[in-house]
Amino acid sequence: MSQTQPAPGAPAPLVEMRGIEKHFGGVVAVNGVSLDLMPGEVVGVLGHNGAGKSCLMRILSGAMAPSHGEIRIGGEVVEMGSPQDARAHGVETIYQTLALADHLDAPANLFLGRELKTRFGNLDDKRMLAEARKVLATLNPNFTNLKDPVSSLSGGQRQVIAIARAIYFDVKILIMDEPTAALGPSETAMVADLIRKLRAQGIGIFLVSHDMHDVFDLCDRVVVMNKGKLVGAHPIDEVHKDDILSLIIKGELPTDWRPRNLEAAQ
Amino acid sequence: MANISQPSQGAWSRLLPSNSATAFHRVSALLTLAILVIAFAFASPAFLSVNNTLTILLQTSVIGLLGIGMTMVIITGGIDLSVGSVLALSGTVTGMMVKAGVPVVPAMMLGVCMGAACGLFNGFVVTKMKITPFVATLGMMLIARGAALQLTGAAPISQLGEAFGVLGNGALFRVVEMQPNGFPKVIFPGIPYPAILLVIVAIVASYMLRRRAIGRHIYATGSNEEAARLSGVLVDRTKLIAYTLSGALAGVAGNVLMSRLITAQPSEGVMYELDAIAAAVIGGASLMGGVGGISGTMIGAFIIGVLRNGLNMGGVSSFIQQIVIGFVVIGAVYIDQLRNRR
Repeated sequence: MSQTQPAPGAPAPLVEMRGIEKHFGGVVAVNGVSLDLMPGEVVGVLGHNGAGKSCLMRILSGAMAPSHGEIRIGGEVVEMGSPQDARAHGVETIYQTLALADHLDAPANLFLGRELKTRFGNLDDKRMLAEARKVLATLNPNFTNLKDPVSSLSGGQRQVIAIARAIYFDVKILIMDEPTAALGPSETAMVADLIRKLRAQGIGIFLVSHDMHDVFDLCDRVVVMNKGKLVGAHPIDEVHKDDILSLIIKGELPTDWRPRNLEAAQ
Repeated sequence: MANISQPSQGAWSRLLPSNSATAFHRVSALLTLAILVIAFAFASPAFLSVNNTLTILLQTSVIGLLGIGMTMVIITGGIDLSVGSVLALSGTVTGMMVKAGVPVVPAMMLGVCMGAACGLFNGFVVTKMKITPFVATLGMMLIARGAALQLTGAAPISQLGEAFGVLGNGALFRVVEMQPNGFPKVIFPGIPYPAILLVIVAIVASYMLRRRAIGRHIYATGSNEEAARLSGVLVDRTKLIAYTLSGALAGVAGNVLMSRLITAQPSEGVMYELDAIAAAVIGGASLMGGVGGISGTMIGAFIIGVLRNGLNMGGVSSFIQQIVIGFVVIGAVYIDQLRNRR
């Protein structure tokens, strides 16, 4: 990851993570990782299970406190002590587990922890239902059974609620952990469209994915983690799928590697 | 299931749980209650008399108050085994205060605060010391019972004065007529204060669970604690509130019960936690968390109250009553599971 200051006139990074470390007893899950995210940039975060990518993302989303390192958002050093803190800084997360309360309905889940209230502090269920209907309709027009508990909904519908919850509020930085794992082809296409739309709005996105096709389709840049370390960070047009796989598996590029875009120019 | 359970819009959907399975449970519990009442009415003509109805109300109010607190804790996915003991400790503390010359109302408030403090301690042990609710509240069950017995030397505190008995024995709209022979004749025994208290507490608790953010957080915490935490719900605070309310309501129930006896009994309320749990579970609460409601628990409390009273009226021994209630609890949960498996 380049540590150089941005050229004058270039947009400042949305997120700068510097020297992030996370220890669990003697185990080092994240080892001195530094990572930036620019506005309107989609960064693919790759690595096999246990490489530390989920851990890193959980630190940014406030779900886990780092052992060392600092996080800057919009240039300011911030404390991510809790998911509330992260949300206050415009960091929204779509968890792989979706993090939905199964017994509650879609609007209740969408607004969980940020309920809309009437003047008297009562839950404003009517307004929450109307708002939920609006935002869910933009993602999936067939979503009508809003008052059913989410446990009775399909995987795709549940995923849509988790996505809606992240984009409904004032999101600046979006973390998507395997957002298409539970989805069929048409819904996956919908998520891809959504990512492009959000990118156009200047939102920065970390996309954690195992799907090479998604990564090459959507990302501007890929970073690869291996054994807690950041082993590679490349603009997407610089690498082949095989290069990425090599980074994921061996933690290094193939010995004969040359940037793909330069290769093409030759 | 999603297709047939399109809930009706409007006022009803606000009052009734949106989940049709829960609504079904409520109807079946209500039906059970009605069948019990009819059966007992046939078995004993005195069962449906005004006096006995009021007695049932009175008896049920204690289980009901405990059950409301228990329901909140159960919805968070926990359990509170200490309510019977906390009830005894709170009642004893109030009794000792009154004996020491503290006026009745502040003394009762202190008693309720004692209950709330026990609940807060439960919550603290569960959330900060990360001890499972079963063990944490089992500990408090012993602590509170021991404290109540130690404070009083295991002897009941009696002669607490008439004012102490008002909460448990008084009634609203009581109509008494003086007869010519000088003896009073009760025309209408009135609505007992404990029953009124129960209704008020039930309405407030139901409002809190359905219409306030804390209620939603209680459901969310029990439904999926990790999801609630990641969504920004202060899970520990939510649990602390639930346990504290359960303790406070155990305190209220203790004061009602001791007031009714006009005696502070440190050995009162043994096994009441089981009645409270049974009321909540019969009413549709799930011990896995995330499911339950005050109206259901009220029906559950009345099923137990009616069962106890009816069996008493029929001259069934209290040992047999325990057996019957044990089977009712198992049956209620079994039927619930059958329905959910379908």
